[in-house]
Amino acid sequence: MAVWRQVLWKLLRDRATFLGASIILSLILAAILAPVLSPFPEDVFEFHTANRLRPPDGVNYFGTDRMGSDILSRLLFGARITITIALIAVGTAVAVGVPIGLVAGYYGAWPGDLLMRVSDIFLAIPQVVLAIAIAQTLGPSIENVILALSATYWPFWARLVYAETRSVKNEIFIESAIALGASPARVMILHILPNISSAIIVRTSIGMGATILTAAALGFLGLGAPPPAPEWGRMIAESRDFLPEAWWYATAPGLAIFLVVMGFNLLGDGLRDILDPRIRRAGGRND
Amino acid sequence: MIGNTMRMAALVAVATLGLSAAVHAQGKFVFANNSGYDNLDPHAVFDVGRAASRINFYDGLYRWVDNPPKQIPWLALSHTVSPDGLVWTFKLREGVKFHDGTEMTSEDVVYTMERMLAMNRGPSPLFSPLILPGTTKAVDKYTVQFHLKEPSAVFLSTVTEIQVVNAKLVKKNEKNGDWGQEWLSKNVASTGSYMLRRYDPAVGFVGARFKDHFAGWGPKYFEEIEFRAVLETNTRVLGLIKGDFHGTDGYLPQDQVERLRKEPGVQILEEESMRVFYFALHNNRPPLNNVHFRRALSYAFDYDGFINDVLKGAVSRNAGPVPNNLWGTPKDLKGYTFDLEKAKAELALVKEPLRPIVIGALAGFSESEQSAALLQNALRKIGVEVKIESSPWPVISSNMQKEDKMYDMVPLWKSTYYADPNNWVGELYGKRYWAIRNSSYYFNPEVDKRLEAALKTSDHEERKKLYEEATRMVVDDAAGIFVYNTKWYGPYSAKVGGIRFSPVGSGQEMRWAYFK
Repeated sequence: MAVWRQVLWKLLRDRATFLGASIILSLILAAILAPVLSPFPEDVFEFHTANRLRPPDGVNYFGTDRMGSDILSRLLFGARITITIALIAVGTAVAVGVPIGLVAGYYGAWPGDLLMRVSDIFLAIPQVVLAIAIAQTLGPSIENVILALSATYWPFWARLVYAETRSVKNEIFIESAIALGASPARVMILHILPNISSAIIVRTSIGMGATILTAAALGFLGLGAPPPAPEWGRMIAESRDFLPEAWWYATAPGLAIFLVVMGFNLLGDGLRDILDPRIRRAGGRND
Repeated sequence: MIGNTMRMAALVAVATLGLSAAVHAQGKFVFANNSGYDNLDPHAVFDVGRAASRINFYDGLYRWVDNPPKQIPWLALSHTVSPDGLVWTFKLREGVKFHDGTEMTSEDVVYTMERMLAMNRGPSPLFSPLILPGTTKAVDKYTVQFHLKEPSAVFLSTVTEIQVVNAKLVKKNEKNGDWGQEWLSKNVASTGSYMLRRYDPAVGFVGARFKDHFAGWGPKYFEEIEFRAVLETNTRVLGLIKGDFHGTDGYLPQDQVERLRKEPGVQILEEESMRVFYFALHNNRPPLNNVHFRRALSYAFDYDGFINDVLKGAVSRNAGPVPNNLWGTPKDLKGYTFDLEKAKAELALVKEPLRPIVIGALAGFSESEQSAALLQNALRKIGVEVKIESSPWPVISSNMQKEDKMYDMVPLWKSTYYADPNNWVGELYGKRYWAIRNSSYYFNPEVDKRLEAALKTSDHEERKKLYEEATRMVVDDAAGIFVYNTKWYGPYSAKVGGIRFSPVGSGQEMRWAYFK
């Protein structure tokens, strides 16, 4: 596929996008290779109280936490939780939001309005607040965090796809397809969807960053994966009592969250530049 | 009415300011508290987190002071008790003024008791099993008589909690027979050392000194006291270092205490306290109703690691429910040690199927959370799965009072409300306190026989023997996991003097304190 090779090439040439992509790739590698990369893989569960709150040194590169566990090892295993939450939550949101937007945009009229008003209701409530409310009601667990995030994220995709579908729907090639007798499903899936996919991909990449941030916030509030799961947000919450002396305790997971969110945002920005010729970043090398 | 009182208080303060601006400028003491003050009613709340409003705004018949705590005459001067131990007659102090200038009499004490019994909240469970509504008598203006249903060895220890409200003022503010609950939750009607000046449940309260308090005042005192809710530990500690706060709670994580010790502007007052850290276990739910399972739990807690590493040896091991520095614990009481082999052996005797155990940890209390994590870790090694659910104290506390909602385990403290073993082993494991104070839902007829007998005799040696026997049985039953007895590390600004610590009230009574 020549187009994708071109995209990949552009991606590699743009420094910011390349950086973003590398960060995401490292995150995925860290998650997969966590048992190999961790200096003390058993520290996800294991405590060494005599060793607690050690600053970073040659043994514990990122120091130890309040229970004496190696922070680096916990961070690496935490990447698994982060990726799982981001992938499933955003995946669900896309799976729910995209069809709703497509159907609403294609048919318009009252079914479209109804679907859009429902998504408006969801958008009217600040997303974090709604996620907290859902997670709190259901109780702290990874599953519920994912549920809370998907339930609050799908309207973003529904809105986007709705608007894109409305504009593509009136293009001549769609009208031709309809005139040739193509069924609505065929038109939507084979003709409209491919033409709006770049917008969805860009939104998804940026949405990943936002999802990870919200998931960390829920973890911070104690609504995420219950202990001892090495959830990044909760690691920061635990570290508060030991600041500023144990600075490494909050810094390590804080940096991890920062990097990953930045990675997804950079990648999303880059993808938008490449895939969506209408909006081009100044100085972007997309010629 | 209260508006007038407050305006008067403001005028008094302004006058004081005019007379000596320097004294007044130093006269405000600010305390950062680790939980909020959602209610000022002394008959509705009864815990350490909200002790400051009760103790600084209200006076009881007697008062606990100093360490070890001793009871001194306060609103009442003396008492007599009938030979059968049922009729308690208290002689009240004459000329005690309420904040609105009226005199406190026996009618106010009667109203107070009736109010507590009717509300049945906060400290009321101390009295409701003993006193029937309508039986408390005002013999004359300064004499009040309580008629008990049965003799009680701890009644005298608890009269401190009969915190007298201004009956006329409260009655005036009653709504639909609510005993003025709505009004008193936001107002103060008392004889206490400080008058309410400002109150916001989200922020805290400010009290102005009540000049005419019957106990008089020393040469130095705080003109104003402010208790502010500051939930974040770090904010409290930093505020204390910067001088924004002059005091904060005396049970900070040990890491913070060490940090504060290095600060020249901060002093740490140390006192032996009576606050036992333990895991409340649901003794009435499988598999925790099996003594072998509970013993396995007791063998699976890393006492040394927790006390010496996490808490840096700042507390001392307490093998039973009663604090070691009080009577009622056998001197040779053998507690449990961290021994996973023994834990496995006990677990092997449990025939019922195991299930995941839920620990309800107190969110924001790092010791509670860390102890839960430590136990979870050890239990995993012997094949018991544990889930930790962290929730704020008000949530945990209300769940503990319902047998079906109570968590399998809750790591928490039992503080001093009165210095008697009944405060610990009695309330925690006596059948009569089920759901109210006994949230372990524990019942052992042999233990109960002793606890009941100890409540009904006043012979100290006999009571000591009974409590020691009961303590031994409770520990043998592993009815809870008993960990340590706290020391109190009171962090105060170096400028503050005169803090008079008592385990009852955790050193938050400000009438004795001043700026040096």
